Amino acid sequence: MKQLLRYCFVLCSLAFAGVAVAQDRTVSGKVSSSEDGSGLPGVSVVIKGTSVGTATDANGTYKLSVPANATKLVFSFVGFLTKEVDVGGLSALNVSLDPDTKMLSEVVVTGYGSQNKKEITGAVSSVKGDVIENLPMQSFDRALQGRAAGVLVQAANGVPGGQVRIRIRGTGSITAGNEPLYIVDGVQINNSSNADFVSSNPLGFLNPNDIESIEILKDAATASIYGAQAANGVVLVTTKKGKAGKTNFNLNYYYGSTSPVKYMNVLNSQDWIKVRTEAIRNQNPALSEAQARTSALTGIRLDGGLSDAQIAALPTYDWQRAAYKQGGVQNIELSANGGSDKTTFYISGSYNKQDANVINVDFERATLRMSVNHKVSNKLSFEQSINLSTISQKGTFGSPNGGSFLGSPYFASPLIIPTNPIYNEDGTYFGTPQAGGISGVLNQNILLTAETNTIRNVTNQAVGNFKLIWSIAEGLTFNSFFGLDYRVIKGEYYADPRTADGFAVRGRLTNENEQSMNFTTNHTLNYNKTFARDHKIGTILGVEYRNDVRESWNQQVTSFATPQFRTANGGATPQSASGFWTGYKRAGVFGRVNYDFKGRYLLTATLRYDGSSRFGANQKFGFFPGVSAGWVISEENFIKDKVSWLDEIKLRASYGATGNDQIGDFDSRGLTGGGFNYIGQAGIAPNQLSNPNLSWEKNVTTDIGIDLGFFNRRITATVDYFDRQSKQLLLNQPVAWTSGYGDITANVGQMYNRGWEFGINTTNLTIGDFTWKTNFNISLLENKVTKLVGSDTVLASNTSVRVGHPIGAVYTAEYAGVNPATGRPMWYDINGNPTYTPRNPTDFRVLGSSFATRFGGLTNTFAYKGLELLIFFQAEYGRKVANGQSSFLSENGGRLFNTLQEVYDRRWTTAGQLTDVPRPINGNAEVRGNGATGGSRFFEDASYIRLKQLSLSYNLPNKLISRAKLASVRVYAQATNLLTFTKWSGYDPEFLDTGAGNNGVVPQSRTYNFGINIGF
Amino acid sequence: MKKVILYISLSLGVFFSSCDSLIDVQPRQSIDTATAFTSEEAVQAAILGVYDRLQGLRVYGRDLIALPEALSDNGRATNKSGRLNPEYLNQPGAHFADGLWQGAYYAINQINLILENLPTVPRMAQATKDVVEGEALFMRALFYFNLTRAYAYDPGAIVAPSNKGSVPLILKGVTGLDQVELSARASIDDVYAQIYKDLDGAIAKLPARTAVNRVNKVSAQAIYSRVALYRRDYAAVVKNANDALNGGVGSFLSNAAYVGGFRSAINPESIFELEYQTPENTGVNESLQTSFTTLLTSGNRATTGGFGDLVPTNDLLAQFETGDVRRNLYELGTAGRGAAEIECTKFLGKNGQPNLDNVPVIRVSEVILNRAEALAMQGNAAAALTDLNRIRTRAGLAESTASGTALLEEILKQRRVELAFEGHRWFDLKRLGRDIVKAAPAQTIPFTDFKILARLPIREIQINSNLQQNSGY
Repeated sequence: MKQLLRYCFVLCSLAFAGVAVAQDRTVSGKVSSSEDGSGLPGVSVVIKGTSVGTATDANGTYKLSVPANATKLVFSFVGFLTKEVDVGGLSALNVSLDPDTKMLSEVVVTGYGSQNKKEITGAVSSVKGDVIENLPMQSFDRALQGRAAGVLVQAANGVPGGQVRIRIRGTGSITAGNEPLYIVDGVQINNSSNADFVSSNPLGFLNPNDIESIEILKDAATASIYGAQAANGVVLVTTKKGKAGKTNFNLNYYYGSTSPVKYMNVLNSQDWIKVRTEAIRNQNPALSEAQARTSALTGIRLDGGLSDAQIAALPTYDWQRAAYKQGGVQNIELSANGGSDKTTFYISGSYNKQDANVINVDFERATLRMSVNHKVSNKLSFEQSINLSTISQKGTFGSPNGGSFLGSPYFASPLIIPTNPIYNEDGTYFGTPQAGGISGVLNQNILLTAETNTIRNVTNQAVGNFKLIWSIAEGLTFNSFFGLDYRVIKGEYYADPRTADGFAVRGRLTNENEQSMNFTTNHTLNYNKTFARDHKIGTILGVEYRNDVRESWNQQVTSFATPQFRTANGGATPQSASGFWTGYKRAGVFGRVNYDFKGRYLLTATLRYDGSSRFGANQKFGFFPGVSAGWVISEENFIKDKVSWLDEIKLRASYGATGNDQIGDFDSRGLTGGGFNYIGQAGIAPNQLSNPNLSWEKNVTTDIGIDLGFFNRRITATVDYFDRQSKQLLLNQPVAWTSGYGDITANVGQMYNRGWEFGINTTNLTIGDFTWKTNFNISLLENKVTKLVGSDTVLASNTSVRVGHPIGAVYTAEYAGVNPATGRPMWYDINGNPTYTPRNPTDFRVLGSSFATRFGGLTNTFAYKGLELLIFFQAEYGRKVANGQSSFLSENGGRLFNTLQEVYDRRWTTAGQLTDVPRPINGNAEVRGNGATGGSRFFEDASYIRLKQLSLSYNLPNKLISRAKLASVRVYAQATNLLTFTKWSGYDPEFLDTGAGNNGVVPQSRTYNFGINIGF
Repeated sequence: MKKVILYISLSLGVFFSSCDSLIDVQPRQSIDTATAFTSEEAVQAAILGVYDRLQGLRVYGRDLIALPEALSDNGRATNKSGRLNPEYLNQPGAHFADGLWQGAYYAINQINLILENLPTVPRMAQATKDVVEGEALFMRALFYFNLTRAYAYDPGAIVAPSNKGSVPLILKGVTGLDQVELSARASIDDVYAQIYKDLDGAIAKLPARTAVNRVNKVSAQAIYSRVALYRRDYAAVVKNANDALNGGVGSFLSNAAYVGGFRSAINPESIFELEYQTPENTGVNESLQTSFTTLLTSGNRATTGGFGDLVPTNDLLAQFETGDVRRNLYELGTAGRGAAEIECTKFLGKNGQPNLDNVPVIRVSEVILNRAEALAMQGNAAAALTDLNRIRTRAGLAESTASGTALLEEILKQRRVELAFEGHRWFDLKRLGRDIVKAAPAQTIPFTDFKILARLPIREIQINSNLQQNSGY
């Protein structure tokens, strides 16, 4: 007791003494990252045991008034280990912070909230914004390719800002949508593309460089919080937000070029005439060589009597090199962020322009993004952001929309008969419609068409959100969220009177205008509490409402005085006017409970009750439950701190149900429609049978996974196995016409996707300042259709959907090569014997599928001081698709198309010759033989490995830039699509069949860009 | 704090309970069938929707006019576009197409829904309701009549072993899947009884208006005379033909005006014809003009229009006696699509555009011929001869004095000549149980041949196990 008193006294006197001698002094210094020595801005510097402190400025320096009695300063910063440093009597104190390699505090955004990565029990992939930064890609979905296991990204074409398809864990629907739900800062984005003339991407509104992180919810238990919209997975995008402190500016610029990846090696004029002559003679052996040649020559509008010497002198015109070109890539953006402890902001503006590698296809975008977070009081705060964007895209005839693929420069240029000049001697276009076009099946001068037509799409979009956060009590918060996604799409297609399509009608202008409005609001109550130290509970209860409306109108006008008149008022003859309206609403109630015991045992249960206006009266609402559990073995006492090299072992399992409501807005209704007119008066008639039982497609996914971390997290790995069962798939079930209807959409189909996902990150080498890191992911998938309408084994409307086979089955007769005796093409019949005339469907078999069974990505990063080299490969395997263009390019004079040199070289010419290219034959079919290009002959393996990104960057040393008062300067050079390894014989194995296969598809470009990134 | 939770729970509860109305969206381009026929405007629009079904290519747009010529001894296919060649060669399955069945039953469902909803339409005058009801009944009769004569035998001309009855008789409207019935084929008699019933109703309800693009009392009487002829109910033929001809709709053209009648947009002879407007142009592939002629205008062989796929057989041309004014409707076409042929010019884009012609459903001369045939069958030769000679003298031919079988044959010959290329010949031969006598390369089709009847749509057989396919298919 005495002792205690004495202590008290000492303490009191010390305190008094402290007051008496209180003599503040200033401590200053710089906080830098131990990784690269760069200054860390915004680091909190606090005197230990007090709330007195400051934050570092943009350069990482700080200055703090410290009382004499202070012993330690605490330096803390997100993503770095907190450090306490003895201040002693120092006035200068430089500190280097170590990154938090255990990432224990890494926060992952999940549905309606966020979770510590450690506590996640579902399958969530996360891609940080810096990974996809500054790539010459206009939408973040394209940049996700190869970055996350289980997420297959396929670009429809190489059109900048063009359509992209994402499939998370396979294909789960046959006729309804397969697109995931995209949510940007809480706003559910309407991702239906309705641009008719240009391939456009609804996600292009967001500048990818404004993205902080992308989270992909893959398993049903995690996604089930989004209920009837989550069957295809959920992609959550979080944008960059302001950080308190000095205002930081970031200027970012890159410039580069795009170029074609490949040219086809096609025949010159002489070889083409030769093979055409052969084809004609093979069809009609009664003709003499000279007669056949005359026929070949007159067929392409040449003088039939040309001599050998005259033919030898014919020029060859290279249409490919006239149509493809080098284009530019340009991106400039400026962002600023900063604020006080009450208000933070982030603002950015960007301009992006990219040309495709073919004439008159481009993308131009300007964006403005602003986000403000404000704390009204300790209880109340709000977050707000708005993104404005305008996108203008030019397209050409048939690339891919706006006209038949036959007129697309990418389809036509290698196929045009090479004797056709491109320009007349006076520089005007050869082969105008007045002059009767050019010779051959493709009789339009594609350059004339591409240069004179206007095919354009403009998308103006505003996406905004507002969130109110009310801290009701300790651990209890209430969030009110409102989001709006508003879009106007304008389409314009002017078929110039100088082109074949516009010639007869003296020009045709089609205008389209579409508006879509998508409003989301949700209100959630969150409660987090830790009981008795070890029991941590997090709950969320919420309601959500979404209203989506789409409206459009279009008009068509013809007869323009001259091509200078390019607006509707210049046309004399209105052809049509039309419009439509559609919309849907969703409402749901949801709840989630997370329970965490000692950080070892984790349990999450989710339930959503969701309703959609799209479903039948009896099925408007449904429950979507999910449950997941995790066991963090590494937190068990028998391992924790005992096995030093082991950082994490977590076992996860989840099971849940999600729905897919991506069907027509009114598919369940009995509808009576207009347009059944008579004597100029509006008539109506029933046109859809009601199905009050129409319901969502259902996905039930089981997921088992393991997360591993070793050697101070130098090796981390995630492995998942999933089994996704898709049921109640919507298919058209025929009904008897005597009912007055043809079919009804019913929930009858079934399909499954199963697979493995591996993700491994390693730090392979750390020698001094040199590090080598590898990031690898691969997915192995299996898909099978298990049930269709009734006992049908094939879908009536699409023979590539067959029970027992993956979706996209290749169903045709197998090509058996060429009969060496006759040079005729053969196929295998049902018994495996070669035949000239395979029968449909008797001799047809499933010979593969367009479903990719394996895909992944591999990134290697080598860093030395400020220098970094990044090599990223991406691959897709197992996809077999028709190569339509190669089929046309292999006709060997069967019709008036040019042909590939190697196909010409390999053609059958003499008896006994072994080859797979049949003899040329006019019309491409032998007498009593099937078409030479039919069957499996042109189904090719579209697997590929691609060197997607190669970049070299350099962060200028601080010493150098601090003199110029800059915070950071980074310069880089980058190449994308540098190399592609594939067996595919066409331009590019990566494309989506949107109706015409790869015909006319603009392939991916190779791009080179150089950039600089300045922070100040 | 407790209050807050209470409020939030309460508002959640309200949200929850109002969910149903919260997600209510009504379509705008289409309307819900359940409530579609509940106003006068809607019912009026719905009856127009039935007329629209008649215009389809597989109904009166082409098939009901062109196929009876191609399948029978009137038409020869030229193979200029290849169309109508299989029908001309009577290849199995080349017959009235699935679209006729589909279009007819779609229309019948529309009619059934109109008839069911009509009595309860509010604020609609009874007189107006009667007109709509009359039109609906007429249309149902016409669709069933066309179905039964295409897919089934006609009363009195039945090959018993091959007789599978007529077509399913659907008289109840369907809006939902639970109402779909898989009915068997009704008997020929039942279907004709229903057609009679509907026509009786139509005659009672329809007004005596004169526009020929909408049906009226006279249209119903005229069609009744044809249906009764098929049913061999000659008294009914005579009665309804008398009523129709006294009804003041359509005029019997003079010799001088005859060809001009076929050149004007609306043939003055028409009692009911389908009007086609610009957006309803059936196009250069399958319009009646392109089917029958390469000419764009009569006498101008310099400009080629359509394909001219079906031209008169020599046998048909041989039926025209010298001086027959009706022969002027046949002239040499162009050589633009191959060898020039003598073509029928009854359809020449009379509505001001190529391929845009009204389609006659019934006209005065047919009613006269219906009556003539019925009178002859009744043994009333004198009256029959009067009607026959009205047709003959108008054509510029001498009066006939035939009697007995010769009289009947002369009436049938005049019927063939008068109504050629208007969709009658096949049905006339079929209802009389006669063989279809054709010259090479086509072959004569005996009346007992299974190809006399069209094939029911295969999908209907697959879906509806109660439905029996016609023999031979």
